[in-house]
Amino acid sequence: MAVKSISKRRSSVQSVVLPLIFGAALITAWQTGLLHILLNTDEYVLPYPTRIITIISENTDKIMVNVWASVQVAVLGLLLGSLLGYLIAIFAATFPKFGSGGLTIVSAFNAIHWTKDVSSEAEVRSTFAKIIVVTVVSMASMSVNAYRGLTELPVFSDDLMKTYAAGRLTEFTKLRLPNSVPYIFTALRVSVPGSVISALVSEYFAEYVIGVGRQIRENILIAQYSTAWAYIVTACIVGIVMYAILMVIEALVMKKRK
Amino acid sequence: MRFSKKTMAAMLAAAMIVSAVSACGSSSGSTGTTAAATTTAAAAGSSDSGAAMSDSDRIISAAQAGKVGNWGLGNEYEIFALLTKYGQENKFLSQAFDMDGFDDDSITLASAMTYNELGLVKNSYEGGYGYGDTVGIIDMNNEGVAMLEDNLFTTKAFAEANPNTVKAFVSASMKGWKYACENPEEAAQIVFEAGSSVSSDHQAYMASEVKKLCETDTNGNKVTDYGKMDENAMQQTLDLAKQYIKLDDSTAAEKLKSLTLDDIRSTAYWTDASAGKFDAPEKKDVSIQLKWLPQAQFMGYFVAKAKGYYDEVGLNVTIVSGGGDIGETTAVNNGTVDFGVTWVSNLISANAGGMDLLEIAQVYQRSGLVLVYKK
Repeated sequence: MAVKSISKRRSSVQSVVLPLIFGAALITAWQTGLLHILLNTDEYVLPYPTRIITIISENTDKIMVNVWASVQVAVLGLLLGSLLGYLIAIFAATFPKFGSGGLTIVSAFNAIHWTKDVSSEAEVRSTFAKIIVVTVVSMASMSVNAYRGLTELPVFSDDLMKTYAAGRLTEFTKLRLPNSVPYIFTALRVSVPGSVISALVSEYFAEYVIGVGRQIRENILIAQYSTAWAYIVTACIVGIVMYAILMVIEALVMKKRK
Repeated sequence: MRFSKKTMAAMLAAAMIVSAVSACGSSSGSTGTTAAATTTAAAAGSSDSGAAMSDSDRIISAAQAGKVGNWGLGNEYEIFALLTKYGQENKFLSQAFDMDGFDDDSITLASAMTYNELGLVKNSYEGGYGYGDTVGIIDMNNEGVAMLEDNLFTTKAFAEANPNTVKAFVSASMKGWKYACENPEEAAQIVFEAGSSVSSDHQAYMASEVKKLCETDTNGNKVTDYGKMDENAMQQTLDLAKQYIKLDDSTAAEKLKSLTLDDIRSTAYWTDASAGKFDAPEKKDVSIQLKWLPQAQFMGYFVAKAKGYYDEVGLNVTIVSGGGDIGETTAVNNGTVDFGVTWVSNLISANAGGMDLLEIAQVYQRSGLVLVYKK
């Protein structure tokens, strides 16, 4: 018993400490120029971390404007895509009946002023176009995973439902829906990073010039690699924070279910 | 039971929103928000008085409706200078590399290069929109906001190590440019055969327009020395660049402010090349990276190669086409290629960012950028 808990603790220490050591070593090699020698590149194309951090700290306001634009696209696209994906999964799981309370929710959605701070027609158009890209990307993983969650039921539960002659609706709410929740999180683990990446890429080609991804491209093209790196680092932080938020929500939801 | 209704209602809502979004895409201009509605109304109101409109009215009304287009990515500084001149906010719509946005009126003042997009808008050959004389232009040179574009550059280190190669390359290239400008139709054909990205008709149009850019300065005077660096036009380009290139990196921004013409160009190589004062090249196999796909915009280099001018000075030249997101400044700076063609403003921002590039000839003597509008 004692041995087991020690080894458990050791493995959790390893899983945290080792990546930290690796990260620290990498950043040290980067800052001291060792990485540049290893990768045969110069400090121009790969600026030192201190310079990148300086640029980020000097431009927080501008960076946050771009972060907000990207996050808005990523989150709205993710929600829309996931809902749509789930819907597709239900169709595939052949559940035909829909509830009637739809209108209340539709009006709730209408109350959200998605575009209250956009200044032009092109910005609205552009934002929608980008959201659609993220929607399509997020939809796929949700529909596949949710379908599994809705159909791969524990045999004993299925039998129990049949024993009580439960209706399809009861079966859906009491069995299929709860059963699919872990699968929803499996899907989100894929589609949250996916939504950030697709939001950044969709900005490359958007009509309205804004967003973290677009800033990376603009700065590389005018040969401002240090600034481009500042936005690359920002993009990483956005992705990590969104993933961390998902982990927290997942932990809370799954704990409640227990 | 309540829970299930809510869930399904949410799904229904999602489906409805998606259909609303797709409807939005197909009927652009009626997005329904207050902001969008007012801008549409403003644009419609201003186009009523179209016939009597002056260029300044045009610029102001398009700017206020947010309908001035440019490609961005380092091509926007002259537009910023123009907008500032007329007291407008420095903002533009991102324009694709075709003129569809101009065609469908989502852009009222669209950026166009005289030798490329303007031809596509006016002419009715393959790929053209056939507007003919129903379109008008606002010329950056006439507006006093011209910045010089296509040049020839290398790195300072390469120029110092291989002065004769540089002079020989400039000499043969400018001989190519001279021949191309004197025989634009033949030059267009040479480019077309060298692997053109556009039709031969458009190539011929491009050659005739590029000739004008090589032989006329920003004030409209005739230029006879191909590749010469006009001191005043270079200085104006640098001054406008310092004013309108915005760099987030404070180190680069400070360097930009301190740049002088001597930091970005040397006239020595061109002067010696023109006088024929150079010896055998130190490096014989050299390459040049174009700013874009093969087209008459770069006809001088294709002609010099096809006519054997490079062979005459002992050079074996490879022409590398551009067009990707990795710019010509990066390619020259890291030694992938020896020479490059870029816009002066791009070279300025690259040097501000820490590159050590040197302009050795200025092929285009005036700005080729115009804003095109429907009359």
